[in-house]
Amino acid sequence: APRFSAAPPMERPGERRSAEMKKLYGKDAPRIQAMEAAMQLTFDRNCDRKQPKYWPVIPLRL
Amino acid sequence: SPRYAALCPAAEGEQRARSELRERFLRTLAAAAHKAARFTMYERVQVQARFGASDVDVLNFHVADLQTPIGVQRDALLRAQDVISFSFDL
Amino acid sequence: MREWREKEALEWSRYAFNLVRVTVCGDVQYEGWVFTVDPVSASVVLVNFPKKGQTCVQVVMGHAVETVEILKEADENITMQLTNMFSPAATETLSN
Repeated sequence: APRFSAAPPMERPGERRSAEMKKLYGKDAPRIQAMEAAMQLTFDRNCDRKQPKYWPVIPLRL
Repeated sequence: SPRYAALCPAAEGEQRARSELRERFLRTLAAAAHKAARFTMYERVQVQARFGASDVDVLNFHVADLQTPIGVQRDALLRAQDVISFSFDL
Repeated sequence: MREWREKEALEWSRYAFNLVRVTVCGDVQYEGWVFTVDPVSASVVLVNFPKKGQTCVQVVMGHAVETVEILKEADENITMQLTNMFSPAATETLSN
């Protein structure tokens, strides 16, 4: 099954992600992070409920 | 922090530019949800589908009612790497 | 010159609201007004207004972009049209 999570496995992914976001987006980091979380949640929920399969089965570009 | 900004004002400008660009992109994807979309992919593949959602790293798109050459796939994942562009009307 | 995907946010933001021509795969070209460039994927969001009241959005994936050429600078009118493109109602879908 494909991995949908954005963060690679690590000890404290949330904390690491927040620090990274702060570096990238400065004072806007919490807003961007909230928007991204909403989008990822929608994506994950769609995948959980609908179990979409990759199309095409074999990537067009390897 | 103001001290950091004073030391390195360029970083703050870069962050502001980045967050404005990213926010507008996230709003674009949100606006695409449930809309009829046309995907142009590699190998001259063109397909239509209803846009669902993207993951935050823009690696996969969930789409519904994908019209493939051999029929309609109710739900599908398109790999962003396979996609050249996609369009939809607001 | 630096590759499109390797640019910094400030460089991408200079393209915002300008009319551009994006070339992909050597020969395919897209034209439109730049709404944004995703700083994560370098994807370019182009907007066209084919008819009054009609707005077409084209997202060109960053990995496919070869060149981006400015055809026309932004003016006040297009900047306003683009910044107001998503009404509050449209942006609410983010939290659905």
